[in-house]
Amino acid sequence: MIEFLLTPFQYDYMVKAILVSGLIGGVCAFLSCFITLKGWSLMGDALSHSVVPGVAVAYALGWPFAAGAFGTGLLAAVGMAFVKTRTRLREDAVIGVVFTAFFALGLFLISLNPSSVDLRTIIFGNILAIADPDILQIAIISGITLAVLGLKWRDLLLFCFDVNQARALGLNVTALHYTLLTLLAATAVAALQTVGACLVVAMLVTPGATAYLLTDRFGRMIGLAVGMGVGTSLAGAYASYFFDGSTGGCIVTLQSLLFVLALVFAPKHGLRAARARLKGGARPPDAPASPENGETRPETGFQRGGGA
Amino acid sequence: MNALLEPFRYGFMVDAMIAGAAVGAVCAVLSCYLVLKGWSLMGDAISHAVLPGIVIAYVIGLPLAVGAFLSGLFCAVATGFIKANSRVKEDTVMGVVFTGLFAFGLVLFTKVKSDLHLDHILFGNILGLEPGDLRNMLVAGGVTLAIILGLRRDLLLFCFDPAQARAIGLRTKLLYYLLLSLLAMTIVVSLKAVGIILVVAMLVTPGCIAYLLADRFDRMLAVAVTSAVGSSLAGVYVSFFLNASTAACIVLAQALVFGVVLAFAPKHGLLALRRRLPGAS
Repeated sequence: MIEFLLTPFQYDYMVKAILVSGLIGGVCAFLSCFITLKGWSLMGDALSHSVVPGVAVAYALGWPFAAGAFGTGLLAAVGMAFVKTRTRLREDAVIGVVFTAFFALGLFLISLNPSSVDLRTIIFGNILAIADPDILQIAIISGITLAVLGLKWRDLLLFCFDVNQARALGLNVTALHYTLLTLLAATAVAALQTVGACLVVAMLVTPGATAYLLTDRFGRMIGLAVGMGVGTSLAGAYASYFFDGSTGGCIVTLQSLLFVLALVFAPKHGLRAARARLKGGARPPDAPASPENGETRPETGFQRGGGA
Repeated sequence: MNALLEPFRYGFMVDAMIAGAAVGAVCAVLSCYLVLKGWSLMGDAISHAVLPGIVIAYVIGLPLAVGAFLSGLFCAVATGFIKANSRVKEDTVMGVVFTGLFAFGLVLFTKVKSDLHLDHILFGNILGLEPGDLRNMLVAGGVTLAIILGLRRDLLLFCFDPAQARAIGLRTKLLYYLLLSLLAMTIVVSLKAVGIILVVAMLVTPGCIAYLLADRFDRMLAVAVTSAVGSSLAGVYVSFFLNASTAACIVLAQALVFGVVLAFAPKHGLLALRRRLPGAS
């Protein structure tokens, strides 16, 4: 039994995949704390789809995949900002139009030139067959991201919580906006290799959301998120050995399970806690106000006017 | 000339054009409501969430469309529930729920031995429609379209101003679930044509095109349907000659139309905006 459980570690490629997944999971989880507070979750989804044409071009031309992916990711972000500020379309619609156009372009390019790159590698990642130069690129991206987050996390936190306050304190909010956007694009590129374009957004959202249910302090939230991100990535990559390779699926399924557990059992913000409070006759807690200023909140969600 | 007409000589090409146009029209009508309501990314979430439903339906022998519809709807309802019962923001909840379902579907898919093609689910298989497929698509699409158009005033008011809709006695909760169900149904109908990942484009882009061109809702519907049907036909047609992914060609055609409209729309386009600015200042 033990021997069976240890078999994944006998393979070099498995050990490599597990370690790289853990690294990416940690970096994404760190960033996810900021992304969930800022309300940029669907921006993560959009950017991760927008990198596809860049990857296709980069592979076809023999460039580092990260360069191409990062380029089109940023291009999409800039395009969204441009269209949004100049038209009367809502932000969520603009995001939808732009990222699907980019993704379709990527799919189009790949279908014209199917031999140069495997579509499934991009959509689902292929951490089990990751090449050493790609690991190097991921390590560099992760290092830079961690360094920037480590040095600037207080400024970024204030920017995510309350833009006006940040501006009033003299912070350069435009620079912070683009810093966060760039970090998002960079980590999306890194995570592409592990979980693929469709599931990157989970790595960039779920750990932060889970941690947000568990704690009220940001420092602790980061710690919890990173812990869960690394843990689920290591475990998911390990489990994928027994699941025939869908590494991304395993990692994200684990992350979602943790979220569901936190949603139900979280000591203060979970469903059970809320129900217990109601039964105890205590006044139900006011819906905790969104930490962020209404003005900066993107209109990504649907307005549940009269709805469920 | 003969070369240009060649695609029409193949039955599968003609089928693909009919299917593309039908799916395009249904999606376009719905997209007008979604763009107004701000539900664009709901389409994205539901479309990814159908994957586990398809696999589970395959395993227990249900029609795949039923499984897809139910799991898409489950995603929407779960998102609403978690949003209402936790302090996590809605966009985050949506991201968590749909990726969770998609990932679960992926794991299931790798564990279940099936004759399903993941590529067909993800990117559609419009050139390989089976005889029954086109008929099912047309019927389901027709029903969806009939419901939307039959209730279009109510739905419109619900999208614009739910409070007003409730005040005049409309059952907004019912309309909410109806719109969600229509969305899920449309996505299921479109899956065979454009696949999970690009269906959101069909559900957003035509509405955006029309919103930039028209100020009246009836006209918006007409513009959206025209641009979507045109893009579908052009996309299928062009993909024949380029030997490229058909779904991608359809979506790129729509994106191209959007780009042109964005620049040149008479009232809300970038050029019109630029012309107005110097005068205003």
